[in-house]
Amino acid sequence: MTPGGLGHGVSRRLLLASAGLSLALLATVVWAVVKEARVEWRVWQGRYAALESAELATGSAEDGSRGLQQFWLPDLDRVDRCTSCHLGIADPGRMDAPQPFRTHPGRWLETHRPDRYGCTSCHGGQGEATSYRGAAHRPVPYWPEPMASRELMEARCGTCHKERRPRGTDWLARGRALMVDRNCTACHEVPGHDAAEVRSPRLDGLPIKVGPAWVRGWLKKPKGYLPKSRMGDFRLAERDVEALAAFVLPPRGKLALDAVELSKADTEKGGEVFRRSRCVTCHEINGRGGTLAPALTHVGAKASREWLYSWIRGPHRFQPKTLMPRFRLTDEEARDLAAYLSYEFGDTPEGFEGSDAPPSPALAGEGRSIFEKRGCYSCHELEGFPTLARIAPKLLAIGDRVLEPAPLVARGTLPTLPNWLFTKVSGPEQVLESARMPTFGFAEDEAAAVTVALLSLRARETPPARTTRDPVRPPYEPQGEFGALVRRYRCLSCHTIGGSGHVTSTGLPLSTVALDRIGSQLTRDHLERFIGQPYGVRVALPERMPHLNIAPEEARVLAGYLSTVMVDDALEGAVPSDAATVARGKELFDRHGCAGCHIVGNSGGYVGPDLNGGGARLKPGWTVAWLLEPERWKRGTLEPDRGLTKPEAEALAAYALSLPARKAKAVGR
Amino acid sequence: MSNRVVRSIFRVGWPRTRQQRLRAMLSSLVLHVHPTRVRVHVLRPSYTLGLGLVSFYLFLILTVTGLALMLYYVPHPAAAYRSMKDIEYAVTFGMFLRNAHRWAAHGMVAVVFLHMCRVFFTGSYKPPRELNWVVGVVLLLLTLALSFTGYLLPWDQLAFWAITVGTAIVAYFPVLGPQVRYLLLGGHEIGQAALLRFYVLHCLILPLAMAFLVALHFWRVRKDGGLSAPPDRLHRRVPAWPHLVFREVLVLIAVLVLVHAAALLFDAPLEEIADATRTPNPAKAPWYFLGLQELVGYGAIFGGVVVPTALVLALLVLPYLDTHPRGVGVWFAPERRVANAVFAVVAVAVVAVTIVGTFFRGPNWAWVWPW
Repeated sequence: MTPGGLGHGVSRRLLLASAGLSLALLATVVWAVVKEARVEWRVWQGRYAALESAELATGSAEDGSRGLQQFWLPDLDRVDRCTSCHLGIADPGRMDAPQPFRTHPGRWLETHRPDRYGCTSCHGGQGEATSYRGAAHRPVPYWPEPMASRELMEARCGTCHKERRPRGTDWLARGRALMVDRNCTACHEVPGHDAAEVRSPRLDGLPIKVGPAWVRGWLKKPKGYLPKSRMGDFRLAERDVEALAAFVLPPRGKLALDAVELSKADTEKGGEVFRRSRCVTCHEINGRGGTLAPALTHVGAKASREWLYSWIRGPHRFQPKTLMPRFRLTDEEARDLAAYLSYEFGDTPEGFEGSDAPPSPALAGEGRSIFEKRGCYSCHELEGFPTLARIAPKLLAIGDRVLEPAPLVARGTLPTLPNWLFTKVSGPEQVLESARMPTFGFAEDEAAAVTVALLSLRARETPPARTTRDPVRPPYEPQGEFGALVRRYRCLSCHTIGGSGHVTSTGLPLSTVALDRIGSQLTRDHLERFIGQPYGVRVALPERMPHLNIAPEEARVLAGYLSTVMVDDALEGAVPSDAATVARGKELFDRHGCAGCHIVGNSGGYVGPDLNGGGARLKPGWTVAWLLEPERWKRGTLEPDRGLTKPEAEALAAYALSLPARKAKAVGR
Repeated sequence: MSNRVVRSIFRVGWPRTRQQRLRAMLSSLVLHVHPTRVRVHVLRPSYTLGLGLVSFYLFLILTVTGLALMLYYVPHPAAAYRSMKDIEYAVTFGMFLRNAHRWAAHGMVAVVFLHMCRVFFTGSYKPPRELNWVVGVVLLLLTLALSFTGYLLPWDQLAFWAITVGTAIVAYFPVLGPQVRYLLLGGHEIGQAALLRFYVLHCLILPLAMAFLVALHFWRVRKDGGLSAPPDRLHRRVPAWPHLVFREVLVLIAVLVLVHAAALLFDAPLEEIADATRTPNPAKAPWYFLGLQELVGYGAIFGGVVVPTALVLALLVLPYLDTHPRGVGVWFAPERRVANAVFAVVAVAVVAVTIVGTFFRGPNWAWVWPW
């Protein structure tokens, strides 16, 4: 057989080979075409088209290929092709659709439009990919930014939202606040955290305050004395404890205690002063009370009565940065109070019963080097030492850290970065036995919050236009007579003005009453009265303003300043006080069930302030503004937003302001 | 009418007579590289194994796939990696193109090496084929250079550090080494300049040089009297059409099938984006230089300079040293026992040391067992 045209000479074998090879070539070509036609994103688009046509019931077999979908965001340097498969993500009608076609949950896409943010800037993963595996829905090799699990999404919010308490992020806000509270930036340089926020007692005055037994007990285990201690456990060996005590205890001669005749002290009167002043607002006793300041449960076993007396009379001499106000007490009251504290709270806690013998001075040199090596002076100021000891790695870009080889994590967990951070934060000794980092004793949720906050510290710079930060404000430092009073009575330990003021470990100031516009909120008379005698406006609150015993003329100065300066012109205004409006207000009051939270007359709820005598306390313009937008004035408030119109708010305000003061005995005094 | 159009293109119609068959070779630009008649001996697959032809076909495949890839790839460090991802995920048949290009490239390095072995073992470098052997050696070096320059382009960790190792070995060469490295990289570090240079070398300079030398290589084959054959088989010839041309087409189809299959079955690797601050451990050169890297482990100058230079020089001067005409045209001719043995040992050593560098070396270049 001679195949056409080729002539003789081509053997049968060769012809068979050519037939076979040609078929093989055809097969590979067809294979390549089919493989491409059935690439994952096309398949999903086909299924989506089927879903759509099933709904339309037209039965039209549309090809359904819309082509590759992508968001190209040059300023974020991202290309996101997620919507090639996630076709219903922005379609509100697809809430019940099977994945990947389901609508995006929540209202996130309203504030984070995909065409401006893409998908991966929030979720992570590989946006360029068009397959499930390639997109790194689960971690894949060679793509270092896996998709964030639901639990860790808040960390990604923090990449752009650099403020301390971004909206809607409980874990992140909590973690960031904890990092400030525990002075992380003292040893690690934490981006966004200022060295000025490091807060710990100075140690200059330690020798005249405590004895060797207490120092030994404390260094071994701070939580033995203060269950909620902010200082971590440095896991010190016996000898190191002794050496540090030898270094820190010798007197430094600068500070001295006040002389006091303790034999005349009356502990019962001291107890009255204690209760009247409401020390428990800040100091907890036996687990009950505030956590702004150290617990006083065992204070008598720690400090001498002379020291307590001197401290109460003038705390700012010993600790210039302390949050504690200088109460206006007579020397006798201070003496009685010191005696009461020493007597009532004098039980020695477990672990502190050790020897009170002074440590050997020979160890002082060793103690000093431990003091330096462990970075004690980074938190605790001491004369002769620099202010910061950044002995630990910077935390810049810790959220992107690649751990090679596989990191040590708690047994039974995967060696991922979040797990490693969690393990380290929970117990640094688990990761490295010789770690210098102290064990802070975080509860599991606290450690998780800190982990989330750490994971939000990323290497990739977000463009400034996309980043939100807390506004940079110069610290509020009032001057003159007002300033001196603010400093003496430490108003800013609990209240904030212009964003300045102490923030607790929850990330919020202790008082929910910011003083920025207090002059427009409350009447001047009420302010003056309240500052002098802070009775309970909201009796159900555990934290109530302590009774600082502010003198009447001091209260006048404070109230005068607040009423003239801390005002917001937009809140000035009056409301009609005619009977019709007041009646309308009462009708609205009843209709909206306000008595569920507020007391009027002799009945009502305890959640909100007592509204009796509201006119003497509240200002009309403010009341209206508050009723219209409570969330704006106090984030997270329980006051509901009833969607009132302005006339309705005015009527309600008119009613509230018309209420007479309660004639019966005052509550909460 | 159509007949005239066809005739204007194909002056000789489909060959039917013997004379037409002979003239077909002469009348076509593509075909006239062939002689009108070829020796029967060289048509046997077991003689040449078609290795030279396969190399050439792989080069053509690389050119075609390479041109297609050039439409999408961007040779700038800020864009290169992303363009690779685009090719992989967004371009229709992108991954297929990329795979085909990469496997054809690796295949070409291997096949070119094997072709050189075949030519040696059949004594086909002896006069009058000395120059063609030298051209062949240069082509081998060009193939390695093309593969090496292309290796950097994906700009991932694999690429970046392989080229770091490779250019570091270049710098070991005395006096000229660091200068050559500087010339290659356009600087002291691998960055934008290096990527652009490698791109221009890979897509323009080296392929042009290759094309010219391949043309010379083919032309020399003709001028040296065709592919070699033993003295007793020199004169049996058959027309190139259809015997040679048909077999060439078959080999082309076979190569295409293999390249397609490889492209469909195995994906070319792409690691994370190049990061000059993170060195993988171990950092390995491309596989064809791993033997070199292994030798460097025994001594930088010895392994990186002396041995490779000696090997290349030996290859280049070989045909001028061994001019004895006996033993040409057959595999492992007994007269060439010594030469064949020496070459075989060296070739096996090269392969062995490459295998060691690939599979038996782990972090810190320590010995590991691959299982």
